[in-house]
Amino acid sequence: MPNSDRLKCTRSPLAASLAVLALAMPAVAQDYPESDRPIRMTINDWTGQELTTRLMGGVLEEMGYTVEYVQADYLAQFTGLESGDLTVGMEIWETTGKDALEAAVETGNVVALGETGMEAIEEWWYPTYVKEECPGLPDWEALNECAEMFASPMTSPNGRYLGGPVTWGGFDEERVEALGLDFDVVHAGTDAALMAEVRSAIQREEPIIAWVYAPHWAPIQYDGEWVEFPEYTDACYEDPSWGPNPDMTHDCGKPRGWIKPAAWAGGRDVWPAAYTAIENFTIDNEQMGRLIGQVDVDGMPIQAAVDQWLQENEDTWQSWIPQN
Amino acid sequence: MNDVSQPADAAAPAPASDDPVRETKLSCRGLWKVFGADEAQAKDVIRQNGGAPGREALEEQGLTAAVRDANIEVQTGEIFVIMGLSGSGKSTLIRCLSLLLQPTSGELIFDGRDLLGCTDDELIEIRRHKMGMVFQHFALLPHLTVLGNVAFPLEIQGIPRAEAEERAARMIELVGLDGRERDYPSGLSGGQQQRVGIARSLATEPELWLLDEPFSALDPLIRREMQDEFLKLQKMLNKTIVFITHDFDEAIRLADRIAIMHSGDIVQVGTPEDLVVRPVDDYVREFTSDVSRAKVLSARTLMRPADEGATFAGDIAPNARVIDFAAQAVEAAQPLAVRSRSGQLLGQVDREAVIRVLAEAQ
Amino acid sequence: MSLTDSDTRTLPTGIAPIRIVWVATLAALVLLWMLAQNVEWIADPESVVTIPLAGWISDAVKWLANDLTFGLFTFKDLTRALAWLLEIPLTVFITLLSSGAEIPLGGESSLTLPPIPWFSILLAVTWLCWVWGGRRLLLLAAASLVYLVVFGQWESAMVTLSSILVAVPVGVAGGMALGIWAYRSERVSRGLTPVLDLMQTVPIFAYLVPVLVLFGFGPVSAMIATVIYAMPPMVRVTMMALRGVSPELLEFGRMAGCTRRQMLWRILLPSARPSLMIGVNQVIMLSLNMVIIASMIGAGGLGYDVLASLRRLEIGDGLQAGLAITLLAILIDRMSQAYIAYRESPTATRRAQGVNNWAMIGGLVLVSYVVGFVFPSLSTYPEALTLDTSPFWDELVRLINVHLYTYLDAVKNTLLIYLLVPVKRFMLDVPWLAVTLLLGVVGWRLGGLRMALVVAAMAAFIALTGNWQKAMVSVYLCGISVIIASLIGIGWGLIAARSERAYKIAVTSVDTLQTLPSFVYLIPVVMLFQVGDFSAMIAIVLYALAPAVRYTAHGLRRIPSETLEAGRMSGCRPRQMLWRVRLPLALPEIALGVNQTIMMALSMLVITALVGTSDLGQEVYIALTRSSVGHGIVAGVCVAFIGMIADRLITAWVARRKKQFRIN
Repeated sequence: MPNSDRLKCTRSPLAASLAVLALAMPAVAQDYPESDRPIRMTINDWTGQELTTRLMGGVLEEMGYTVEYVQADYLAQFTGLESGDLTVGMEIWETTGKDALEAAVETGNVVALGETGMEAIEEWWYPTYVKEECPGLPDWEALNECAEMFASPMTSPNGRYLGGPVTWGGFDEERVEALGLDFDVVHAGTDAALMAEVRSAIQREEPIIAWVYAPHWAPIQYDGEWVEFPEYTDACYEDPSWGPNPDMTHDCGKPRGWIKPAAWAGGRDVWPAAYTAIENFTIDNEQMGRLIGQVDVDGMPIQAAVDQWLQENEDTWQSWIPQN
Repeated sequence: MNDVSQPADAAAPAPASDDPVRETKLSCRGLWKVFGADEAQAKDVIRQNGGAPGREALEEQGLTAAVRDANIEVQTGEIFVIMGLSGSGKSTLIRCLSLLLQPTSGELIFDGRDLLGCTDDELIEIRRHKMGMVFQHFALLPHLTVLGNVAFPLEIQGIPRAEAEERAARMIELVGLDGRERDYPSGLSGGQQQRVGIARSLATEPELWLLDEPFSALDPLIRREMQDEFLKLQKMLNKTIVFITHDFDEAIRLADRIAIMHSGDIVQVGTPEDLVVRPVDDYVREFTSDVSRAKVLSARTLMRPADEGATFAGDIAPNARVIDFAAQAVEAAQPLAVRSRSGQLLGQVDREAVIRVLAEAQ
Repeated sequence: MSLTDSDTRTLPTGIAPIRIVWVATLAALVLLWMLAQNVEWIADPESVVTIPLAGWISDAVKWLANDLTFGLFTFKDLTRALAWLLEIPLTVFITLLSSGAEIPLGGESSLTLPPIPWFSILLAVTWLCWVWGGRRLLLLAAASLVYLVVFGQWESAMVTLSSILVAVPVGVAGGMALGIWAYRSERVSRGLTPVLDLMQTVPIFAYLVPVLVLFGFGPVSAMIATVIYAMPPMVRVTMMALRGVSPELLEFGRMAGCTRRQMLWRILLPSARPSLMIGVNQVIMLSLNMVIIASMIGAGGLGYDVLASLRRLEIGDGLQAGLAITLLAILIDRMSQAYIAYRESPTATRRAQGVNNWAMIGGLVLVSYVVGFVFPSLSTYPEALTLDTSPFWDELVRLINVHLYTYLDAVKNTLLIYLLVPVKRFMLDVPWLAVTLLLGVVGWRLGGLRMALVVAAMAAFIALTGNWQKAMVSVYLCGISVIIASLIGIGWGLIAARSERAYKIAVTSVDTLQTLPSFVYLIPVVMLFQVGDFSAMIAIVLYALAPAVRYTAHGLRRIPSETLEAGRMSGCRPRQMLWRVRLPLALPEIALGVNQTIMMALSMLVITALVGTSDLGQEVYIALTRSSVGHGIVAGVCVAFIGMIADRLITAWVARRKKQFRIN
């Protein structure tokens, strides 16, 4: 089973494999690890986050730190980060976690450690086969012509747009109104429910239009495209006169969002070098997409994918480690 | 059977001349048990009414008396039966005597000691060593074997398990259940379960043995058998016994003395014979009317002064019951002599007198 | 709320002819409804006043966590110490079952002791099962454990088992202690009942954040949350069981000279044991129920596997891990029952006499452990031999989706358009004052003035804390689900009462439905029925079905055979037997089953929020995501109050009904 090594809250088996690597490496100045205290990294329940976490965890172990992986809910983890029970959560998305992160930072107990370099793309998305019947896509102005084909009995004659959980925000209701779209927004409760419906429609090759985001396995596994709205600028959300609708805000696409690690503020004094390394962590959407594809589409165990990446990109991760 | 007989009108018993003098083991005076919302208030009502409030006085306050002004003296070695129909207060009375219920007022003396003044710890000690009780529905512990149940009262005293089990085994043998020691109560018949209950209540070798309708839940045949064994046991052990029953037949079969209760009052206390021959009121008469008089009347009641120089067909004891000597008396040509244990001639019983009793029973 | 004329024969309060009361109530309702169009505060409670309770609670929790101090130590120190204490046994179990230990031997070298290998546990458990329960239990144990091994669930299962092995004893002991306390003091008992109601019905998400703050992030917090959720039935059962001990036994205990302590430990608890086991069963089932949510806060194990699989939409994987949870639950439950039966069986009939059980198990484990240590390759089940049926399940769902979707969609749309949507509209239209008034009148009729006040006050609380709309959506969703679940459940219960065999099948199915994490079927349900109220309804029905089945079957089986014979001798036809004899007599039990069904349905609200509803459950979930302690708790208490209103009314109705039939 691929999940067998994901279960432990204990030391990663990665340590052993990296020990071998260590022999081949040039010596670096060793004023870390500053502490034996375990760095407790949270594992949330989506693949990309676990990949990011184990990549970073592998590097930290390589630096000599003790790393523990703790499974935690994406939002519940902030409580642990504030109290220091948890040390770092690698992926806080602007789109879904901004409020929670800001609230946590306000307490003074949590800090954001730079950005991961990945960019969250979120937009209305449809599978490619939809385009056959609605040739005007991906331009948003074609949406109204095909609205009926997305309709369900509850929304008819309007189209049914499957939005993300309410907690993700996203201003889709505002967007529909501002752009005069003949669509009703239906909110899924969770990411899983959202994707379940997307998959179901794709299996039946039925039209669907939904909130999909990247990096995520769905846009990798399924052929599809983002709808092209007028491009987002800050002015679009603030200034009604901007954009196609002169009287309303939100008449554009969604902003792209950052993805940041969040960490317990007190940890900077305990493991300063580790915090610097996490701040330096960077990976782009394309690489992450490939990793997610290996795991979710090709069925490679997460640890194997991580180990392989670490082996192939040694220069990259070496550069994250602070040099004295 | 024990030799006890009473002057007819004695509410407080005085031993007959040829009986050994007995001490009082357990007695209560002016004992009340009142149920209701406020028992403290009940105490006041009783005091204000000079210790004997009427029913109305209590009911006004929303109180009901389950036991009213009970006075009894149970003597060492006697079987004292408290008889009454359901709701008469007999169960409440025995629970007051054992302090399972705190009496509302009155005094309660056991072995010369005021039980109501005992601390909880003293009471626990008294119960552990001097009292044993048998319950109507057996009250066996379902999770313990026969042996475990009988040994239970010993074990909670802190007697080592081995010794407790050895003593328990002896009791089990006594009630005729040897071989079933390892069985659980659920596997036993009702009669057998009550034997366990009896063995358990005797395991601590108590002086006072309380039995609360012990045979009421059993089949009539088994009941009879258990009554016989109960008498056999008592002959051997000679305990002081308070026995509750609602069955008058059972009462006269077992009792040395009977107290009849009715709506919380003790109506009459006396030997079975007293009750039959000299009922104090209609209520008692009603009870005794169905009783075969031959079973309760004794030679002493039937006898008349012996004729000068008469010859006798045989000797009988003064407390012998008619049923036991009827055949002998009816067949004989001469009367029977009634003699005390020491052989002194007390009187004679004529054939006609016996026949009259037997005829009346029809 | 359907009180017919026949009920009016027994008036608890004979002031006015009851019919007039109803007519008056109805008139008042209509009036309110009409006024609601014009008078804002009748329709919209928020225009009256909104109590800022949420803010107060948030502040209170903050104060608890940050400022409350007892001089030498703070409240938080206290809770952290408690967490530390609980962590000790947990660590021991995890070390033994899952992680193993590393013993430093001085210097660089250390001895790595692996965890107890799977075959040791398999041997020991099957041996125990054979001794306690014979061949049937042995087969169940062997099959369950082999499933865990062969389907690659072993490691996760051991992590889950470790926390269950701590949580269940803590829940049982805590529940018993509280139950004993309540048994001894009437006042405690009265104070405890509403607290228990809240513990059972306030959704766990509502108090997750305070628990995390006070007890730290990790498996221990998960365990504490589990215990809070799983303990109430134990308290209730303990109170009931102790009160059920025959008074004669208590008298015997006192006459034997038992001290208070002896009375408790040697008389009360042992003789109440069979009833107490019902509580233990509930604690086990509910603890395993919590596995999923516990895994969200660091408990790991099977719950995490389910969650992670479903996040990737690997339905088969989720199902396999979910089934592992179910098997664990059923196995632990059956073992605990068999153990009690074994303890109470006559020694002579026991299996493996003369063998010291614990020595035997110790020996088995030790020998197999050494074997595993010497040949480490044996201790891990070869991955090549594991089975994986998940492609089958994924394919099955796909096939259903592709080929049957049209029909399912038609059913769904019909129900939505003709049932769900109209009911929802209606519920949202009824003015809050009218509902509160109606509840008050029904409460007054069923249980007198006190009940009326309590019920109406709870309704007003929901309105005045600004949760009315969401609450009505919850009521509509739960209401329809409960009706459907009750119909199915009662029907199934009728079938299950027919024969011992059918009953056993029903009980096992019901246990499975209750312990199989709802997430496992939530995702396929969404795939087949789309995001929305309909999917939520199906999930609720599936979960809440269990008590309706269980209580109906139980109630029907309890009817004295004499009564049934009397019915047959009066010439009842089978249909008459059912409607005129069996159902009326089982009605009190069935009503209790429906009562429990309502509770279950409410407890699913938080889960169904995850597919996308807009009710109180969603409110609780949103509060969790915003870390807004107060909002979560207030919304949670509103859910609890809906449950408590239903519970109070149904219980009162059952009591009246029982009185009518002179049933004790």
